[in-house]
Amino acid sequence: MKRSLLLGIGLVITGLYLFPLYWMYVSALKSSQDLFAYPPHFLPHHIVWTVGQVFVQHEMATYLTNSFLIAGGVTVICVVLGTGCARVLARYRNRWVDVALFAVLMTQVLPSSLMVMPLFVGFSEAGLLRTPRLAVILAQVAKVLPFYIVLTRASLSQIPAELELAAMVDGASRIGAFFRIILPLARNGILVTGILVFLQSFGEYVYARSMISQDDLQTATVGLSAFLGPNTSDWNGMMTYSAIYVTPILIVFVLLQRRIVSGLTAGALK
Amino acid sequence: MSRLKCLSAGLVCAVALGLTGAPRADAAHITLNVWTIDLESQYMFPLAKQFEALHPDITVHVKHVQFQDINNDLARASITGDVPDISYIDNPYIDLFGSRGLLLDLAPMIAQSKMIDLSKFYPGPLAAVKYGDKIYGIPRGANTLALYYNADKFKAAGLDPNKPPRTWAELYADAKTLTDPAKHVYGLAFSAVASEEGTFQFLPWIQMAGGDYNRLNTPNDVEALQFWQKLIDEKLASPDTLVRSQYDSTATFNAGDAAMAISGPWELPRMAKDAKFDYRVALLPTMTAGSAHVSALGEGDNVILAKSQHPKEAFELLEFLNSKMPSVWNDWGFLPVEQVTVDHPNWPADYALFLQALQTARVRGPSPHWADISQAIQTAVQAALTHQATAAQALATAQQSVDATVNQ
Amino acid sequence: MTRMIARFRDGSSFDLTLVALALAYLFVFAALPMLYTVVMSVQKIDMFTLGTLARPFVGLRNYAHVLAMPVAWRVATNTAIFVVLSVVLQLVIGLVLAIYFRQDFPGASTLRGLFLAGWVMPALVVGAIWRWLLAGDFGVVNFLLGSLGLIKGHIFWISDPHVALYSLIIANVWLGIPFNMLLLSVGLAAIPADVYEAASLDGASAIQRFLFVTLPMMRATLGAVLSLSIIFTMQQYDLVAALTQGGPSNASNVAQYWSWQLSFETYDIAGGSVVAVVMILVVILVAILYVRSTRLEQQA
Repeated sequence: MKRSLLLGIGLVITGLYLFPLYWMYVSALKSSQDLFAYPPHFLPHHIVWTVGQVFVQHEMATYLTNSFLIAGGVTVICVVLGTGCARVLARYRNRWVDVALFAVLMTQVLPSSLMVMPLFVGFSEAGLLRTPRLAVILAQVAKVLPFYIVLTRASLSQIPAELELAAMVDGASRIGAFFRIILPLARNGILVTGILVFLQSFGEYVYARSMISQDDLQTATVGLSAFLGPNTSDWNGMMTYSAIYVTPILIVFVLLQRRIVSGLTAGALK
Repeated sequence: MSRLKCLSAGLVCAVALGLTGAPRADAAHITLNVWTIDLESQYMFPLAKQFEALHPDITVHVKHVQFQDINNDLARASITGDVPDISYIDNPYIDLFGSRGLLLDLAPMIAQSKMIDLSKFYPGPLAAVKYGDKIYGIPRGANTLALYYNADKFKAAGLDPNKPPRTWAELYADAKTLTDPAKHVYGLAFSAVASEEGTFQFLPWIQMAGGDYNRLNTPNDVEALQFWQKLIDEKLASPDTLVRSQYDSTATFNAGDAAMAISGPWELPRMAKDAKFDYRVALLPTMTAGSAHVSALGEGDNVILAKSQHPKEAFELLEFLNSKMPSVWNDWGFLPVEQVTVDHPNWPADYALFLQALQTARVRGPSPHWADISQAIQTAVQAALTHQATAAQALATAQQSVDATVNQ
Repeated sequence: MTRMIARFRDGSSFDLTLVALALAYLFVFAALPMLYTVVMSVQKIDMFTLGTLARPFVGLRNYAHVLAMPVAWRVATNTAIFVVLSVVLQLVIGLVLAIYFRQDFPGASTLRGLFLAGWVMPALVVGAIWRWLLAGDFGVVNFLLGSLGLIKGHIFWISDPHVALYSLIIANVWLGIPFNMLLLSVGLAAIPADVYEAASLDGASAIQRFLFVTLPMMRATLGAVLSLSIIFTMQQYDLVAALTQGGPSNASNVAQYWSWQLSFETYDIAGGSVVAVVMILVVILVAILYVRSTRLEQQA
């Protein structure tokens, strides 16, 4: 009895929280008269299916591919660079580790919107703007790397240093121990944090907007911002675009959510 | 100062290169890069195709840039040196780019041109591209503001649909009669949004009151702003007027949620589709009966960047675009910027009215500091409409910042 | 040479290299741009002179200019309200939800997982959706509140200067809840069950258990969540751009957006850099206070 009551309340809370998403989907299916009706209709009167049209007209295939490439690149670099650093910072507890962590976090004070100008000038001098997607990847890695390090460090610190020492006693080198002992144990945590980094980068906007000038290299968020311009009250189109954009993310997410939640909590549970 | 000299020297060079048609191998294929705010099906895209057909040795690469991003993108491009040959620039910003030496002075080429005759241009659009004796662009068309009204709602409210409001007092009275909170209908829709659009909508009111962007705080100017305050305070216009663009505001008119709307001719195609009622257009009401009518000058100009490698071909494209002036109204919804004969204009009554409004349309600025000036004006409007300040205080503050900017 | 390699493989050099690589990356792509921002804040510079490197040094004149602007004070207060309220609400709601979904009922972890949907949404999209939900004349939030009898008439969420900042906070809290909830769930799970049992045996009530067991044991987690939330909130630019654009009349303008406006709307890069530098200083100050306070706690 108590458990079904808890479930009931839980469902209501979750429903309330997810209402904006529901509203996005409903609005994507409404006609323009339906959209501005007051009182609003909670189910569309006539379903207007513009998904194909929006997808093609707004060249979403290209945009989504670019977003995917950029997010993928960011994730790879982040995992390669960040995992070792996170391990070391998790392994030692001293003042220098605190200083390093503090420094890492401090690089995150300014939002992308303010970092973009100096980066733009620097990249322009270095000729990186000729490969604009790479430029966005490099800039975005700096944005998510600290986040990756902090979260991965938390799950890596659950692995006792003794394991590593034991491996080294058995003749493995430090590097060998890292690759053969630590990484397999931390696989889940790294995977999960990697996914989060990927998703964050999939929604990146400011760097892509400023550094990519060719339309066919542009990302999906920038495509969405076309709807936010002055001559747009195309709410239906905007909601349809948003729905197309986030649905794959949501599906991947719902499929993986058990793994993600356990991945982040696993370390702590052991 | 020396930098300025340097820039102007560069400019002279660029012009000279342009005139001699400089290093251009005869068989070489030329690519012109063009930035525009148009969407794929509009103005620059199809016209560039036509131009290519006439000039097989020239490829025109057209790129769409959002209206609100184009100034930034041009500035950024000028840092990297990756500028287009031709770009769209909004009227009041010509001076900003011109004063930085980023634009090519077209005056020498126009003097030689058989196709462009400046004496035929209307004064408003011409003023926008003039910078001293230099000409920094060719207006591609114009738009301006007028008052749309829902004649059916006029009749229903007992007003004469043949007598739209002609003064501010009449506008207020009609808006009051037409407002119906029970049915979610506002008397008037306009835009006081904190962007260039807000300045565009507000400036004509100041100008009708006798002021301008650099004379903002006379008692008449204050009255203009107080008039807007009254419309919002008494809910004759939606409080969301402060955050809605012109297009969004007019959408509420089209949906029947506002009885009148202030906007431009670009609305006509959508209105023909969405507005299921008898709508008409009238001139903006004047401050008092018989006082001056002023409207705003909108749309922008095609400019050639000073760094363009192909100024001669770029100018040929501008000439070609200019030759399409007689059809800009029917094809793209722009008002022509010079005296041309328009055969069978679409929506002839509305066309005539907007063309009449255009005759008294004034360019915003022009000033190399327009971005700051425009922001000072938007801030004043928003501060007064939200009662963060009285109309008089808000405009006095704006005047101070404008003075500081202009004299800096 | 082989000795060096051996040291690299087995000694602390390997560790140092791993850390140095990441730190070097961050130095080049994050610290240098920040230093450049500091340099720009004391130069005479705007969008168009960005390309040339020889720019006149003007000392603190840019600072005097920006801080004397009438909106500066407004933006500072707004930013404080935005950050404090966002962080506190995210933390409280996140904690409540984490505790709620920790209880034993069918589907608890699945429902908790669904909350994460909010986290994976791009802020730009979230801003667009909330702008639509909160529309004054035809928004669904006004309708729902009206039908529940909670409000009379309409609230103009985006255009009422007394409300706009709070609309921004609502949307930002919505975005931040999942992150808080998840990390706090992790922290909660780390508390051994026998500690609770012991407390129960000693006759502690649920509230006492929360105050004297849960909270103290969560201190490290709370600290981490808090500092990350503050950073995320101070970085929130996309949401402001999509939802209120700082308006009306700067009523919802916050430092990170204002700085962008100065740099990119009025091309005053120097002014924008000044705001950015002030933001850095404030965060460093807060961080130092935080570190010192935890030190004192440990000593006491």
